[in-house]
Amino acid sequence: MAVKTYNYTGLKCPMPVLKTKKELRNLTSGEVIEVIADDVGAKKDIPALLNKSGDELVELREDNGNLIFVIKKA
Amino acid sequence: MAEDAETINFIVKDKSFEKFAMMMILGTTGDAMDTKMNFFFTFWGLNLLKKKFKPKVAGMPTPMKGMAAKMFKKRMKKFGIEDPWAMIKDAVDNGNMKLYPCQMTMELMGIKREDLLDWVEDPVGAASFLEMSNGGRIVSL
Repeated sequence: MAVKTYNYTGLKCPMPVLKTKKELRNLTSGEVIEVIADDVGAKKDIPALLNKSGDELVELREDNGNLIFVIKKA
Repeated sequence: MAEDAETINFIVKDKSFEKFAMMMILGTTGDAMDTKMNFFFTFWGLNLLKKKFKPKVAGMPTPMKGMAAKMFKKRMKKFGIEDPWAMIKDAVDNGNMKLYPCQMTMELMGIKREDLLDWVEDPVGAASFLEMSNGGRIVSL
């Protein structure tokens, strides 16, 4: 199953968090999405969001200044 | 989703662009984090709830305050913040962000309910705010 990718590069706080949450609200439990952001604050902010929501950060990797989050809906 | 009943309560007492932006960013992010947030607007902060009010940048020298607000707005648009009030409205509609005008200071400053945005909460007094804040944190912006 192809994982949907959402590209939030160029966006700054709080937009990557707000947009990620908006997508998470539409998912069903167990679904996985990929989020790309280049706002340095997102490195801590998106994990903080997931920590609060209970959704799982499956993977966080960096690629050429981009942060790539793989997120699994709780 | 919200597994705890913790609320964060903010007092907004200034009408500056900076305070507006802080309110908008914290309120919408709090909504994303399923945190209940009450914002209590008093004194000059009430202006932020007025229809068509344009906040100015307090930190700039007087002749540049309005221009700076336009410049910041434009720059924030590039950051993805297209319509701050629409974002606030979403957070309010989700039930996580509540905007309360302070009744007494409205009267003190001659501000009427119909001057304010229709969809903010009805004005409340100090006791109501403290009661709804009970057990939560209160932060003055």
